[in-house]
Amino acid sequence: MKDDRNIYSPIKARLTDVIEESPSIKTFVMVPENKFSFKTGQFIELSVDGIGEAPFTPSSSPLITEKLEVTVMKTGYVTEYMHMLKPGVYMGIRGPYGRGYPVESFFGKEVLILGGGCGLAPIRSLLYALESIKDKLVKVILCYGSKSPSDCIYKPLFDRLNRTEKFEAYRTVDKADEDWDGSVGVATTLLNKIKINIENSVAVVCGPPVMMKFGTIRLLEMGYKDDQIYLSMEKNMSCGLGKCGHCMMGEFFVCRDGPVFTYNEIKHNPEIWK
Amino acid sequence: MELTINDLKNVRFFDNYTDKQLNIFIGISSIKEFKVKDILFEQYDELNEIYVLLTGCLSLGISLAKEKRIHLGTLEEGQLFSWSAVFSPYISTAWVKATCPTKVMAIDSKKLILEFEKNCEFGFKTMSKIAQTISYRLSDTRFQLMNQLTL
Ligand SMILES: Cc1cc2nc3c(=O)[nH]c(=O)nc-3n(C[C@H](O)[C@H](O)[C@H](O)COP(=O)(O)OP(=O)(O)OC[C@H]3O[C@@H](n4cnc5c(N)ncnc54)[C@H](O)[C@@H]3O)c2cc1C
Ligand code: FES
Repeated sequence: MKDDRNIYSPIKARLTDVIEESPSIKTFVMVPENKFSFKTGQFIELSVDGIGEAPFTPSSSPLITEKLEVTVMKTGYVTEYMHMLKPGVYMGIRGPYGRGYPVESFFGKEVLILGGGCGLAPIRSLLYALESIKDKLVKVILCYGSKSPSDCIYKPLFDRLNRTEKFEAYRTVDKADEDWDGSVGVATTLLNKIKINIENSVAVVCGPPVMMKFGTIRLLEMGYKDDQIYLSMEKNMSCGLGKCGHCMMGEFFVCRDGPVFTYNEIKHNPEIWK
Repeated sequence: MELTINDLKNVRFFDNYTDKQLNIFIGISSIKEFKVKDILFEQYDELNEIYVLLTGCLSLGISLAKEKRIHLGTLEEGQLFSWSAVFSPYISTAWVKATCPTKVMAIDSKKLILEFEKNCEFGFKTMSKIAQTISYRLSDTRFQLMNQLTL
């Protein structure tokens, strides 16, 4: 049967909880009116009535279809409004869109994840997916950097991962406060700490553009090959469907061909780190 | 406390060395222990030892003036530091301070250079690892700088 739904019309989702992760980041827990499934790394267009919509990568487990979590950093018009929302209101969801992480190709490998700032949101969803297939992986190492201890999101996640077989999780901050006794330095400094068999490994990088750039450079210096590095690209988007051209990066529509690319696929693009 | 080959096999910096090469390090090294707040060396100190952090926690930074210390970051276990000890003028470019009880392996840098001259393969391997440490530090510093500039 032909689906007559307008491709731009969202499905409704009720906001059931808002979790404050840091002074500028909140997680929105939503219950969509229909079951909603996505692959880890894919994104959705989330709308607020009368305000607008913006793309976000779900931060919840792709195995759960009854509820959906999105972790949002306050950066501008839509996100600032979202931060004022209280449980009970309805939001709109379009998607899921794009190409997520090819987790099946990680089987038999060591997975190194380098994250920064709000980039931990998509990574959390990836971690849930990897936990569910951990028997098929050699190990998973998470290296995450935030500006300060209070900017670090999902704090309990680190302890939980460090208690999970085959998982290791490390945190660093750019600037420490008096209570912080962990690592200090940018996220890449944590790579001095880990032991990994690079030949049998893949690396995933997700975070602010500066971190993506220097993280990739460092992974290449360590010996990773271009096609072993996965980048989750955030470009300005509108339709999310490969129609409007807003998100174009060279020959690619980031919304349709990405947002997850190997470095090999996009390394020649001059806009890669913009 | 004496260092053994097995101790070094678990230390990241010593990955890919043969037992014979690890023995060279052991012959010219000692273990040094530091308490919280001990300064291992100050910026501009002359260095005679290159260090590898075995256990504990160390902070690294630079001084702008006598009282103005800038904390750049922490060092990780298994990491090499004080590499200025093998490059002329052998003057440290940063200060390093213990922030918890710490154990380091102190390698006599003059003796290490003599070993490089005797054994070129060992020298090349070690200098490559030191160059890599410096290159990583440089790219981390660029990252840190860009982070500050884009805040
Ligand atoms: C595939 C994808 C997944 C994303 N996932 C997340 C996520 O999980 N959590 C999260 O907090 N953010 C995520 N973002 C970024 C998020 O979409 C933007 O922060 C949001 O669109 C800003 O909307 P705004 O109206 O609040 O800001 P605006 O008022 O539109 O702009 C404020 C600032 O944000 C920048 N900006 C606007 N849109 C984007 C965009 N699409 N990508 C990057 N920067 C943008 C603008 O250039 C400007 O500097 C994702 C973006 C993409 C493309
Ligand atoms: S967002 Fe419209 S083409 Fe990608």
